Amino acid sequence: MAEEFNTEGMLDIYLFENQQLLEQLQEIVLEQKDAECFDEDSINEIFRTMHTIKGSSGIMMFDNITAVSHKLEDIFYYLRESHPENVPHVELVEHVLDVEDFISNEMEKIQAGDLPDGDSSEIIAQLDKFLKKIKKGTAKGGKEPIAENVHEEPTQFYIAPVATSASHFYKIYMHFHEGTEMANIHAYKTVYALKEIAEDLLYFPEDIISDESSAEVILQDGFRMLLQAQCTEEEIHNIINVGYDVEKVDIFECKAEEFLQGFDFGDHSAEIDLESSVEDIEARTQSDDVKETEEEKKPEKPKIAPGDFVIKSREPGKQKKLAKDKGKSEKASFISVNLSKMDQLMDLIGELVISESVVLQNPDLKVPGLNLTNFNKAAAQLSKISTDLQNVIMSMRMVPLTNTFQKMNRIVFDVSRKLGKEVEFEMIGEQTEVDKNIIEHISDPLMHIVRNSVDHGIESKEERIESGKSEKGKVILSAKTEAGKVWISVEDDGKGLDRDKILAKAKAQGLLDESKPEESYTDKEVYQFITLPGFSTNDQVTEYSGRGVGMDVVIQNIQSIGGTLDIESTPGYGSVMSLKIPLTLAIINGIVMETGNSSFVMETGVIKQFVSVNEDMMIHEPNGEEYVMIRGECFPVIRLGERYGLKNYERTVEKGIMMILEVEEKKICLFVDKLVGEQEIVVKPIPSYIKKVKGLSGCTQLGDGSIALILDPGGMVD
Amino acid sequence: MEETNAQNIVAEEEHDIIDSQNMQIDKYMTFKSGNEHFGLEIQYVIEIIQLQTITLIPETEDYIKGIINLRGKVIPVIDVRLRFRQKPFEYNDRTCIIVISVKSIVVGLIVEKIAEVVEIKKENILPPPKLGRADKVHSKYVYGIGKVGDAVKLLLDPDKLLNDEDLSVLEQVNEVNSEEE
Repeated sequence: MAEEFNTEGMLDIYLFENQQLLEQLQEIVLEQKDAECFDEDSINEIFRTMHTIKGSSGIMMFDNITAVSHKLEDIFYYLRESHPENVPHVELVEHVLDVEDFISNEMEKIQAGDLPDGDSSEIIAQLDKFLKKIKKGTAKGGKEPIAENVHEEPTQFYIAPVATSASHFYKIYMHFHEGTEMANIHAYKTVYALKEIAEDLLYFPEDIISDESSAEVILQDGFRMLLQAQCTEEEIHNIINVGYDVEKVDIFECKAEEFLQGFDFGDHSAEIDLESSVEDIEARTQSDDVKETEEEKKPEKPKIAPGDFVIKSREPGKQKKLAKDKGKSEKASFISVNLSKMDQLMDLIGELVISESVVLQNPDLKVPGLNLTNFNKAAAQLSKISTDLQNVIMSMRMVPLTNTFQKMNRIVFDVSRKLGKEVEFEMIGEQTEVDKNIIEHISDPLMHIVRNSVDHGIESKEERIESGKSEKGKVILSAKTEAGKVWISVEDDGKGLDRDKILAKAKAQGLLDESKPEESYTDKEVYQFITLPGFSTNDQVTEYSGRGVGMDVVIQNIQSIGGTLDIESTPGYGSVMSLKIPLTLAIINGIVMETGNSSFVMETGVIKQFVSVNEDMMIHEPNGEEYVMIRGECFPVIRLGERYGLKNYERTVEKGIMMILEVEEKKICLFVDKLVGEQEIVVKPIPSYIKKVKGLSGCTQLGDGSIALILDPGGMVD
Repeated sequence: MEETNAQNIVAEEEHDIIDSQNMQIDKYMTFKSGNEHFGLEIQYVIEIIQLQTITLIPETEDYIKGIINLRGKVIPVIDVRLRFRQKPFEYNDRTCIIVISVKSIVVGLIVEKIAEVVEIKKENILPPPKLGRADKVHSKYVYGIGKVGDAVKLLLDPDKLLNDEDLSVLEQVNEVNSEEE
């Protein structure tokens, strides 16, 4: 059992990490798919990603993944090293995405417990072809092609310091100002900063920490370092900059051989060791390594003395890095947690909050004459912690839609390429946070809708030009939270839905009501037909859509989580498909109020105003309806207690409070007993056993463990 | 006392899940509602909790008393007396909620008093009499009558208890009509 668990754990980590890497990769690629070529950072990033995947897959012995990632790594190695021109960018993007697909496919197999048995030969052949092509392209362009990246790391048996072929080697000479005190400490400061980026680092004089006399040597001869790192000269300059102590910094890039030779005093010119055999050089490196590790240990021992300097010295190097690495370090700090554990934690915290209130409001405490000063202090601290705890767990479940939207970006790219359409894709509000459960449910329907938009909606180039539109179609994917729901809409500027065609098809399939004239169907009703099973207006079945399965699946999926799909369309100008999804478990900001012993919550967004009114402002209709005049405007009034037949609610308008709500341009006044406060609430569905009550959209647990009902402003207004 | 007994048994079940299938056979949780004692097959019972604050849900059937917060889970609670169309009773500190799970619907049943867990062998269960009983109203929820010594327990079908509202209302009307004739 335990052993099994261990390997499982390793595989899990492998899958999780690579999944993240691939997502990152896709993001980079799609970000720049419309650019002329990849910029330097992305090339490096893709290279690194592939390198990592190659490495970890090698360890896990997934040979096909290793092979494919190695090939792509080669391409990017070449791109990085020789900066070829005339690279067919779109083709390259496709190749990268192909590789990504291949790997994620294989990873899915692994996840399902199968062996990754996908055939990598074809994709490798394609990549080879592509690599040859771009090499040829550059050769024509007059540049020297650089030797292929042929290192076969997985087969090597000694462990080299993380050296990769991507490393650069530098000689660095630092000169300090003459009067600098304790130059050795200053030098160490630099060494420390460089360690952040260094794969290998040698310096002279060696003993700069314990041997104080080294300060003199440094002042006289300068401080020399040999650095192996994956960074540019500029980055090193950023870390070691001329300052109050450093007079001059010289950085020379050198060859690996020079680096292996160690320090070459006096003569800076390149000297390639042709006599020594490879083994010798390797042996030398290894001995250097040993030295290196020894050296590294030393400075760490007497930490206390130079401690202040060390902390200070980190800063210049660190700050520079922070700006660049921010995104990465954030990503790296994610861990994956089983959702059921999260649910359990959430329930437990709920329970904790309840027990807390049971303790703090215990009747035993009400005994007169008790001195509770200390108890109250401790209780306040406890409440604070449990509130924080609650907030944290709630925010943990929320995930931005970014990843889902990125997937859509990919789909638009794929489909439009295959169909020969040019489509611009815009995302709005991808930061909208949605509960994890919802994300899982909307991904598929959204994919169908986006695919439909590109396939059915956007016309071919010729058609577009003919109808006076720009060549490029546009698909906008947007998300927002409004009125207690998540709204996700897919908008295209294509030809829109063809009302007549849909009607004709509906008629042919016998879906129309015979007694109802065709004209009397509203546009909305007509558009709803396309969501019926087996309904497709596309005459030709394409690879992506037209088989009539799709929209009905979309509808089913959306309805299963209690959402709705709205279709709007203007012939010739495009259509908008809006998903309206309840935010089960989503967090909203709400106003908590009380009416007749019951607590209710209303989403803050729809409340325009709180008003205290008096009887003079009320208008009573003979049929029992009420209105209130507030600053010359007349609003219909709903008394919450009356509406729901509650007991003991406030009937005098002066004693309660009016809330002006605005929903979809309708305004009403809601009368409640009193306001409790505003807070973030987690929306939970009312158990399905209880049939839906109009005007209630869910319930929530308040801080004291009691339940408040969430009012649905839409249901109130109707 | 009886209550703790019941809880112990429930707790025991949670501990040994493997045996629970065997343990649960022929065991019934009994409770008192009105003058009758009812029995519920123990496999449906999740736990027994004390009465807690119930949040009213407006515009629902009167026997649905509302929802409670069971450790972060929101579950509906129904009043068994009202469900059987008996007179409502005052809730007191003996009032309990039996949390049951039927076909993954979790519901709390408000009952006057928890009795005990009893074993009723299959041969001691009789089909409900078709004729002559005054409390026809709840006979449709009762699928059998279990004999425990001299006492009689009405065995409830939890599925019907929760779900056949439309049907039962219809039948109710029919019954009232036929009684009037």
